[in-house]
Amino acid sequence: MTDAAKRDLFPGALEMMILKTLERQPEHGYAMVQQIKRTSNDLLRIEEGSLYPALQRLLKAGLVKARWGISSTNRRVRIYELTVAGRKHLEREVSRFEEMLEGITRVLALGES
Amino acid sequence: MNIFRRLFGRKQLRGELNEEIQAHIEEKIDALVRGGMPREAAGRTARLEFGNPSLIEEDSQTVWRWSTLESFGADVRYALRAMRRNPGFTAVVILTLALGIGANVAIFSVVNAVLLQPLPYKDASRLVTIWGMNLPRGFTLDLISYQDYLDLKAQNHVFESMGASTDNMYTLTGAGEPAALIGYEFTPDYWETLGVPAYIGRTFSPDENENSKAHVAVLNYKLWATRFGCDRSVLGRSITLDGEPYTVIGVMPPSFGYPPDVQVWTPLSADSQTLKDRSVRWLRVTARMKPDVTMEQATTEVQTIAARLRDAYPKTNKDQEAKLIRLREMIAGDVRPALIVLLCSVGFVLLIACANIANLMLSRGTARQREIAVRTTLGATRSRMVRQFLTESVVFSLVGGVLGLLLAYKGAQALVAMFPPTISNLSIPRIQSIPIDGWVIAFAVVASIGTGLLFGLAPAMQSSRMNIGETLKESGRTESSGAQGRRFRNVLTVAEVALSLMLLAAAGLMIQSFLKLVQTDEGFRGDHVLTMRLFLPSSKYPDSARRLAFVRAALERIRAVPGVESAGTVTFLPLSGWWGTRTVTQAGRAVDPSGKDPRFVWDSADPGYFVAMKIPLIRGRYFNAQDNDSNEPVTILSASAAKAVFPDDDAIGKLVNVEGLDKPHRVVGIVADIYQLGVGVHQPGAEQAVKSEVYISEEQYPTFLMCLAIRTAGEPTSVSKDVQRAIWSVDSSQAISYVESMEQLMSETVALQRASMLLLAVFAGLALLLASIGIYGVISYSTSRRTREIGIRMALGAARRDVLRLVIGEGLALTLIGLVIGLAGALALTRFLKSMLFGVAANDPQTFVVVSAVLLCVGVAACLIPAVRAMRVDPMVALRYE
Repeated sequence: MTDAAKRDLFPGALEMMILKTLERQPEHGYAMVQQIKRTSNDLLRIEEGSLYPALQRLLKAGLVKARWGISSTNRRVRIYELTVAGRKHLEREVSRFEEMLEGITRVLALGES
Repeated sequence: MNIFRRLFGRKQLRGELNEEIQAHIEEKIDALVRGGMPREAAGRTARLEFGNPSLIEEDSQTVWRWSTLESFGADVRYALRAMRRNPGFTAVVILTLALGIGANVAIFSVVNAVLLQPLPYKDASRLVTIWGMNLPRGFTLDLISYQDYLDLKAQNHVFESMGASTDNMYTLTGAGEPAALIGYEFTPDYWETLGVPAYIGRTFSPDENENSKAHVAVLNYKLWATRFGCDRSVLGRSITLDGEPYTVIGVMPPSFGYPPDVQVWTPLSADSQTLKDRSVRWLRVTARMKPDVTMEQATTEVQTIAARLRDAYPKTNKDQEAKLIRLREMIAGDVRPALIVLLCSVGFVLLIACANIANLMLSRGTARQREIAVRTTLGATRSRMVRQFLTESVVFSLVGGVLGLLLAYKGAQALVAMFPPTISNLSIPRIQSIPIDGWVIAFAVVASIGTGLLFGLAPAMQSSRMNIGETLKESGRTESSGAQGRRFRNVLTVAEVALSLMLLAAAGLMIQSFLKLVQTDEGFRGDHVLTMRLFLPSSKYPDSARRLAFVRAALERIRAVPGVESAGTVTFLPLSGWWGTRTVTQAGRAVDPSGKDPRFVWDSADPGYFVAMKIPLIRGRYFNAQDNDSNEPVTILSASAAKAVFPDDDAIGKLVNVEGLDKPHRVVGIVADIYQLGVGVHQPGAEQAVKSEVYISEEQYPTFLMCLAIRTAGEPTSVSKDVQRAIWSVDSSQAISYVESMEQLMSETVALQRASMLLLAVFAGLALLLASIGIYGVISYSTSRRTREIGIRMALGAARRDVLRLVIGEGLALTLIGLVIGLAGALALTRFLKSMLFGVAANDPQTFVVVSAVLLCVGVAACLIPAVRAMRVDPMVALRYE
């Protein structure tokens, strides 16, 4: 887990963002990174490379599947797609994350009330 | 993703990842260039933001990995590569291991065959033998009377079945040359108890019992094969045993041999008097315990019954107790302690080998410190390094183990030859071959892996504990890993010396004991003596007159055979394993009711026997032709027997009562003591009988069993055919067995001691060699590390002599510490040898001094080469060396 903590914001955060990105539409790695950067307004700085071990973990867990396709720049790339299990996992993770966030927010709001 | 993809798709996965990552970076570069960045800078930025591609690739692959298994595979490959890189080191280590493990496996295979393999009976672990015991009378292992047997059988609640047996001897005639067969009489339940069905035909039916006088016989496989050519029609056929017809009803399978060597089984039979008399103890009883009964419960039960019988029949059963011995122990009895001692010793050798290899590995670990440091910097964890080291040593030990198994296979065959199948005075299971079976292989594997872990652990721990920064900075100088490593190597060396000393002490004691054994005067001269044994069937020779007529005629013709110098007969040939005892008391004295009268081996001998065996006459005379039936009964006592019966008096001319003989016998001679049972043989219940003997004149008391001792001018066995022809010219149907020279018999008697002694000596030699290599290794290593120090000392004026003292002193200190520990260990352990030693105490100071001296000399010698090397150190070179 220490490895994951170094890579991610917190354990599982990167995976969750990948899944969320893929929920919209299937993407390849580079596009996913751009998407995450764009939507987070560049607030999250992630090492691009760390995407790939995370993708392999998701593949292994059967949460995403991959196929070879052609990118908009006409390169042969691997395109990842959410599986049914991945969709469910994402829902669960998001609701757990929101609970956690709410908890943290309340604790942080303690002094202000 | 399926398992095949996971196992075999690795290359593909790597390719795909690589392509994917390359595409990602290129796409990023494109985007940056489009944003106006020069291509070169864009490449740099893209790579920077992406991170280390190969590391990421690796991480991504790790996701799919069975990491431990795969790194294990890598470690094995790495180990094999390391072995190839350093062939000299590898050869030394593997050879040491092969010898160590091989010796262990060989001895274990014997232990496995003799002590561990299941006996060829149904649920053999539940089989026990029941014995009588009468301590006040000195019987620790006694047979059982028929009535006691019936009571034991009827009153117990712990045995499923119980059978009785007794030994017998038959002469088989009418099927080739007459043969003396070793027979056994069984009750029908005996077969049921052992639980082995006949190979063909059947065993005794319940009504073929001791009251039936049924003339049926079961043959052993070998007799069936050799005499009847495995002919199945032998069933129902009549064979002639002792001149009487017996119907063959069955043949036992080849594996069945209880007792070993028995050739024919017949139903138990005895006259009604013997069956009634509780004081006639003649049966060997074997019983099968019920499944859930323990040995303790069964023992308590038979002891309770024995107590009941003591109360009910005080006249015959006074002090009579009972005891149980497992059948397995009964069969392997005499060889068991020897095997256990050998297994322990050979284990010690392996331990020494381990210590040695650990030492070698430690010094190699020092040489490999830079490699380890580099790997650690690159991210190898400590446990990962330990694992790699252990894998390496286990790979070593497994290779050694495979070689060792091959050695053991060869060695085990040689071991069979060391334990001859014909040892007459020991109960040794008859081993034809020593199989290398699953157990032996399992033992070899466990021993190998255990060995690998043992000798690998120390170097692994040491290497993982080292200081990386220091090592890298030191740029290849060898002066590191400090005092701790050295201390550990010293401890290993001390342990080697200590273990070697224990083995040397054990071997020294065994050698001494063996020399004493073979040098002890048996009391007779065994060279140039041919022996054979005859059994005169009572059917043909029912009375003394006919037996004597045969003996006289046979002896006369034997003495006429060219090359024969003298010939005589005796009931029980010394060292034959056959013997009987009788009490002897002064005539006119009442028999001691407690049965404490002196008891000696008895023999019925003719005058020629003493001459042929060269048994020295001390006083009086030998028997002569006048000591026959018409004259006064006479006896000859051996020196210690005479002293026991007449402690304060001269025995010659006195009258004695010999147990079982009606008339008093006059002592006419005193001869030297002889070892009837073999030198150094402890026979329970016959301690006094070992050397003391009472002889009765054969003319006055001829026996059914007759052993011949024939002194020859030349090689004894060269006349054996002529002698047998001479006997057959008197009676062509007389069976002759055990035709062998006395020297053969003597050599067999000490076979077990010889085998144990030789093996222990070999193990001790091996231990000594390994220990000397160990000392040499440690001292030369420490000397080479101290080259600079020695150089400085010499520059400051130390003489070569001082250097010599310095180096040898270091080695001597290790040896002496090991010596002291070893002596303590040896004193504690050699007492387990006690039962195997003859004429030498288990803590014999002389042996301990000699082996210590030997070890000390070897220790000093091992230091000499490094010492000389140190003396040649040129101070200038040593100082400039930095």
